[in-house]
Amino acid sequence: MTKKSALILPSRSISRRDALKGIAAAGALSVAPGFVRYAQAQSSAPIKIGFQAHKTGIGAAYGRWYERTTAAAVKAINAAGGINGRPVEIITEDDGTDPKRGAEVVAKLTNQHQCDIVYGTLFSHVVVASAPVAGELKVPYFVVSEGYHVASGKMNRYCFQPGITDVRSQVTAMAPWVSGNLGKKVTMIYPDYAFGHDHRDYFAPAIKAAGGEVIAQIPIPPTESSFTKYFPQIPAETEVLYHVMVGPAVLTFVKELGEFYGSNKPQLFGFIDSLEAVDINSPGLEFLDGSHFWEGSPRYAQANDSEAMKAYRAAVGIDENGAADGDPKDVSTAAHMFGCWETLYVIKQAMEAAGYQGPADRAKLVEATEAIQGFDEGPEHPQGDKVFDGKLHQVYGHQNISKLEGGKLNVVHRTEIKDGMYEAEGDYTQQAL
Amino acid sequence: MTATTFSGRSFFLASIAAGATIIPRDAFAHASERGHVLLLPTGYYLLGGACAVIASFAILFFIRPAALEAYRAFRVPIARSPERLRFATSALSFCFFVLLVCAGFFGSPDPTHNPLPLTIWTLLWVGLLLAQGLIGNIWHWIDPWYAPCTTVNALFSRSEPKFNKEAASYLPALILFAGFVWFELIYIAPEDPPRLAFVVLAYWLITFVLALIFGHERWTRQGEFLTVFFTMIGRFGVLQPSTDGSGTIELRLPGAAVADAEPLPASGIAFLLANLAAVSFDGFSRTFVWLGSIGINPLEFPGRSVVIVPNTIGLGGAMIAFPIVFAILVRLGESFARTSAPRSVGLLAWSVVPIALAYHFAHYLTAFLVDAQAALIALSDPFARGWDLIGLSHRPLEAGIVMGHEAAWVLWNTIAAAIIAGHVLAVLIAHMLALRLYGDARTATISQLPLAMLMVGYTLLGLWLLSTPSAG
Repeated sequence: MTKKSALILPSRSISRRDALKGIAAAGALSVAPGFVRYAQAQSSAPIKIGFQAHKTGIGAAYGRWYERTTAAAVKAINAAGGINGRPVEIITEDDGTDPKRGAEVVAKLTNQHQCDIVYGTLFSHVVVASAPVAGELKVPYFVVSEGYHVASGKMNRYCFQPGITDVRSQVTAMAPWVSGNLGKKVTMIYPDYAFGHDHRDYFAPAIKAAGGEVIAQIPIPPTESSFTKYFPQIPAETEVLYHVMVGPAVLTFVKELGEFYGSNKPQLFGFIDSLEAVDINSPGLEFLDGSHFWEGSPRYAQANDSEAMKAYRAAVGIDENGAADGDPKDVSTAAHMFGCWETLYVIKQAMEAAGYQGPADRAKLVEATEAIQGFDEGPEHPQGDKVFDGKLHQVYGHQNISKLEGGKLNVVHRTEIKDGMYEAEGDYTQQAL
Repeated sequence: MTATTFSGRSFFLASIAAGATIIPRDAFAHASERGHVLLLPTGYYLLGGACAVIASFAILFFIRPAALEAYRAFRVPIARSPERLRFATSALSFCFFVLLVCAGFFGSPDPTHNPLPLTIWTLLWVGLLLAQGLIGNIWHWIDPWYAPCTTVNALFSRSEPKFNKEAASYLPALILFAGFVWFELIYIAPEDPPRLAFVVLAYWLITFVLALIFGHERWTRQGEFLTVFFTMIGRFGVLQPSTDGSGTIELRLPGAAVADAEPLPASGIAFLLANLAAVSFDGFSRTFVWLGSIGINPLEFPGRSVVIVPNTIGLGGAMIAFPIVFAILVRLGESFARTSAPRSVGLLAWSVVPIALAYHFAHYLTAFLVDAQAALIALSDPFARGWDLIGLSHRPLEAGIVMGHEAAWVLWNTIAAAIIAGHVLAVLIAHMLALRLYGDARTATISQLPLAMLMVGYTLLGLWLLSTPSAG
């Protein structure tokens, strides 16, 4: 079955035929200044990147923004000459945010669409189910998930997370600043399942190392929709309330917490994951004013944004409040989606380093990716410079701590990369290619 | 509840992860629009809705049967039905169908950019269905089998086989409809363009062959579930064919033509209630209550593939239980009123039409507002080749139309009003049908007590489904 997949552009797609016509035109006009040069490439056929996208299912809200960021990055890459002089073509397959379909999609993108690599997965359960297929097919698989799966050493040689830090690193990096600025005595409220347990397990030792302590841990059953009965468990001496509630009842949680505390509240610290793609000024969230959040990349434009960050935001099409240009209610998943942009530039860097020509060079691409040690801040990495652990296939970077004030999240601290480093638990380079 | 409650889910996931030993850890359970609804005083809406339905039932007791008869009989002739155009409109619809199937096979593999899934699941299954309910039987004109069947019959000088319209069974349509809703609600990839293209093409071909064998009119009355369902819902619309056979289109009051209907056989009752059961179960299957009961953590919904078995059982159970409960309540009402009428269940089943319509509207409205935009954009470039056929290819998708507190407030009030109005109209229609069955207002009212309680309960259920915490 033939698919007319598309080169992605920001708000629309153009066909491969159009893209190739464009390349031909570029060749004909090769004396003109400012044209796109693809001429050096041995092959002018597009590099085909299979995009394993959550277009339906519970990940669809994220999938839409991952697509938008991907489209913007590919447009920028192609405008600058593509990869190794070849244009990039994105072929999107929906995985329904489902692990079984995720595994099928990796195989389909590889075998049927003949993609060079597979990229873009967000939800961890889809990554975990898909990575073995990528390993079997020996196709490089670049995820943008933030899960602690690649870094756990339990994926395989072909699975990378080079564009976004993992949750363990994020949580660990928060502790020194929380202890030094908000308070030493921390009570944690978290949903009682794996995600909440990650925060519990990684934050408690980190805050202890930073001179603070977790004085109470309050797990909330995932099916809970009213929280008032749990709040009396919060010790009176609590200085910082660390909250990572997620799901539809988050707004209720915040509202009830406000009713419980009134104006006399401890410092609040949370992860923006709780309110990703939600207007921070929604009724019910007033209680969060003055509280602090982790953000991977800031939702709101900052006064000191670099030129690279400004260009990135303009290319993706988000306004100063982090919502879609022209559609202010459509709040982006800004804290995570930058990972798509940066991952695509990592792919470009690794392919060019490997002299990648086609699927026969996949092993060389893996080795070239593993050889990368870090990235400088700039147009390709607008979120900031990063360290890449080639043995662990995981990237480490700066984290942002933002304060909600005046209806906006303003970055008040940027962690050091070393704040989020931990002892590696694996070495994929020992595995056969 | 502790994490161990979800060990069943972990088992499923571990099986699927093919030996992977780590647990996925995501924070991505989106706070979503339901979060805004949770902050609204939805309890008052439930109470108000139930009171409105009870009040409407009580008021009917005092309304003279002649007034209800006037509602049913009101009609204004509009125009002669242009039946001779039906071949052309059906042929155009068939061409559009072919285009869509080709787009499914050869267009974008992304279901949010391919016009086939967006047209089938959004424009047809939601948009057209609601238009049928509000306006009338539009589907009659765009049935994509009529023109091809007519052409084949003309070529081979065949005439439509005769059949007994009174003895029509809906069993084939019921079986096919059950398959359809399973594909929509349970199957892991109903939106995948090539798979959907294969399914709709296969269904078109099978229907085409069966329509040639049994006759187009007979098969679309009894076997082709879309026509059967659209026709049933279309009876609620305000534009109706005249009942005197003159070929005139008349303006009627909403639902008035439903009260003219003939009793349905058992298979027809099951069919009419099947969609309500399916939509209700689809809403229920996303609630924390259902997910918790089948061992799924709603904050990390693992995907359709993991819930195929429990959801198939739940869906099937709902589709079987609904007509049984309905029949029991009708018979119970007759025993209260010390009366009975032949085929009363089959006649009163028609009163469910406005509820089915209201549930459909409420259940799909949010998705429709966004996906209908995506559908039009995709239709402008059906093969992802850079075309701009209807000038919409460059139009940005405004997803924000359903986002945020204000939108949640407007949407909630709209769907709550629809649910309540649907049930009030159902009470009205049931009363008109009961008057036809039992003659006097007192008997009709007493016989309707159990059904009225069902309507009240279903109003509460509908509003609860739309306001309780849910995944996705």
